[in-house]
Amino acid sequence: MDDRIVEFVRGLRAAGARVSVAEASDALRAVELLGVSDKNLFRQSLRATLIKDSDDFAAFDQLFPLYFGSGGPLLQNATDQLNPDEQEMLEAALSALSGRLQRLLDWLTSGQGPTREELEELARRAGVEWANSQQEGRWVTRRMLRDMGFAHLEELLAQLRQQLQEMGMSRQAIEQLMGVVEANREALAEQVAQQIGLQIAQDRANRPEAFHGSDILNKPLQSLTEEEAELLRKEVQRLVTQLRSRAALRHKRGKEGRFDAKGTIRASQKYGGVPFEMRFRRKKLKPSLLLICDVSTSMRPVAEFMLRLIYELQDQVAKARSFAFNADMEEITVTLAGNRAADAVAEVLYAIPPGYYATDLGHSLETFSRNWGDAVNGRTTVIILGDGRNNYNSPRIDLFRELQRRAKRLIWLNPELRQKWGTGDSDMLDYEPYCDAVYSVRNMAQLAAAVDKLLGG
Amino acid sequence: MFKDIADVRGRLGQQQYIASEEIATVVYLAQALGKPVLAEGPAGVGKTELAKVWSKALDRPLIRLQCYEGLDEGKALYEWEYAKQMLYTQLLRDTLQQTLQGADSLATAVQRLAQEDNVFFSEHFLLPRPLLQALTAQEPVVLLIDEVDRADVEFEAFLLEILSDFQVSIPELGTIHAIHEPMVLLTSNNTRELSEALKRRCLYLYVDYPNLEAELDIVRLKVPDLSTALARQAVEIVQQLRQMDMRKLPSVSETLDWARALVALNAKSIDEETLRNTLTVLLKYEADVQKAKRMLGGRSGGQSDF
Repeated sequence: MDDRIVEFVRGLRAAGARVSVAEASDALRAVELLGVSDKNLFRQSLRATLIKDSDDFAAFDQLFPLYFGSGGPLLQNATDQLNPDEQEMLEAALSALSGRLQRLLDWLTSGQGPTREELEELARRAGVEWANSQQEGRWVTRRMLRDMGFAHLEELLAQLRQQLQEMGMSRQAIEQLMGVVEANREALAEQVAQQIGLQIAQDRANRPEAFHGSDILNKPLQSLTEEEAELLRKEVQRLVTQLRSRAALRHKRGKEGRFDAKGTIRASQKYGGVPFEMRFRRKKLKPSLLLICDVSTSMRPVAEFMLRLIYELQDQVAKARSFAFNADMEEITVTLAGNRAADAVAEVLYAIPPGYYATDLGHSLETFSRNWGDAVNGRTTVIILGDGRNNYNSPRIDLFRELQRRAKRLIWLNPELRQKWGTGDSDMLDYEPYCDAVYSVRNMAQLAAAVDKLLGG
Repeated sequence: MFKDIADVRGRLGQQQYIASEEIATVVYLAQALGKPVLAEGPAGVGKTELAKVWSKALDRPLIRLQCYEGLDEGKALYEWEYAKQMLYTQLLRDTLQQTLQGADSLATAVQRLAQEDNVFFSEHFLLPRPLLQALTAQEPVVLLIDEVDRADVEFEAFLLEILSDFQVSIPELGTIHAIHEPMVLLTSNNTRELSEALKRRCLYLYVDYPNLEAELDIVRLKVPDLSTALARQAVEIVQQLRQMDMRKLPSVSETLDWARALVALNAKSIDEETLRNTLTVLLKYEADVQKAKRMLGGRSGGQSDF
């Protein structure tokens, strides 16, 4: 059993859940304590010790039956209810039909399904090792069932029925027999599906990790595959922890601030008026951010990860408002109280549909200064995330200048290479003189570095 | 101590807490493995309450540490009582003078004083805060670290030593081990991701909103004066509201408040009038109230004026 649990843990890890060695050993202890006889209890003791994030419950629920299930429902013996005469008839009919699908018919009528080894062999032949996910597993399952002869089963059963009728088996006995065979067929299909699921999970667990954390940080955001994006989303967590502790350290090592006379006098009351404890007034270091994201198709991945970073860093930021534009500006500040950043970001990107050749920053800036102009004051750092490609619309430099004048700082993050600025419909070179800083952010590492600079004050 | 999982359920039940099988299993495992429990889930589903009934069921004192942004060691673990130290120095001036008598140089005086150093940094002048209290208590306790997601990340790191080894290191005194290992429950409202290290040391319990039957059981237990039919109707409405896109979903504790309000108003049935008057007990934002009125109005066939 212990081996099985260890294998299960590897399967969980491959499915993206983080399970440490310490947690695995906790699970073993818990199972030792509560036993395996009560399946529900067993399941809960594993879940409480192994899974520490409610997002990973889905992976757990998917894999648990694969590793600890019975391998699917059992087949019944169809010949039990038949009298010896009828059994003979069935045998005769089966041998008359014998040929390609002898094995399948045997399984379905005898109640003696394929052994685990046979299933494994069949799964291998159906190409299970080429499947990367449980979704692809469904396809392999279909193929395996076809290989086993399920496609011709209908036809074959009709022939069997006819044979038995001709041999003079009673209608009732035939119906009963067919009923059992039908049930067995479903059970066998389920067994096959579970076998495939298990083999995929095990294969994934045995495969070396495809990407290394630091590699993926340096891959251009716009060329991420869906799988890599998923990995990177997990990586954001770790990155955020790093950024946060660096910001916290900066905060601590930063200047102690101005001497606070009032506070010191108040504190000295404890010591009979001796100013024993010096008090300092700390400068508030947390920046207040206003984020303007271009969410046109080309910018989506960058916008997503930027939003993720900012929202994960909520506690390092005094205030964060965010806006998104494509053809027009919209506020997307989401109340994050009780809401996970990841969900919030996904929601935002879902709500604002992408569009091609519709980007219009000039018009968006106009809407912004009309509706939310008051959101920018001397304490706000405005961050614009975009490629500066305006589809030859007016860039409205005047509004942009006004924005820079009112904000504390105006920073532009551009995912394009510097060489490309100003080419085609890019107005980047026109905007650039009015930005306090411009960074080219092509990958996660650069994005994180830019955010780190922001938090630095 | 709990004997088995059924015992956990029974004894929590005696304290008027309906523990699901999952909760009971985790509580039992926590005791058996000597590990803290991290309970996550939406606000108001009874995470804090679990710690309270846990301590009552075992008849152990509950020590509670409420976390907030800016909570530091001084507030959570211990503090030196400067004032008391100062006071003692004043009062013991004569004794000090005696000690220092005959010291011919400053160096000798300092040396003599240094020998008495540990008098001033002894447990006598230590002001224990919740965490230290839990470790040094003479009887076993239940320690509740509430809303740990509100505390800073640094504080989380600081908790690690306590949670894994039940000990703390105080520079002046050395390492203090727990006399009795406390049962620890941490709660989090999931407003931010907790660190892997913290999670690794805990058993994980996700408490979600209860389903209809479970919530009905809770209402019946806590507000026995409400008639069964009315309780069912009320819980059905709450469950329906939770399906909606609200700014703040009604929690179990708010369901209970609402049930009590219905009893207090002596409501015979939940009609439009009662709803209009009491919906604010359940929902705390005007926009949510409006949304709920529209939904419930539509449900009753539109003959109402909501």
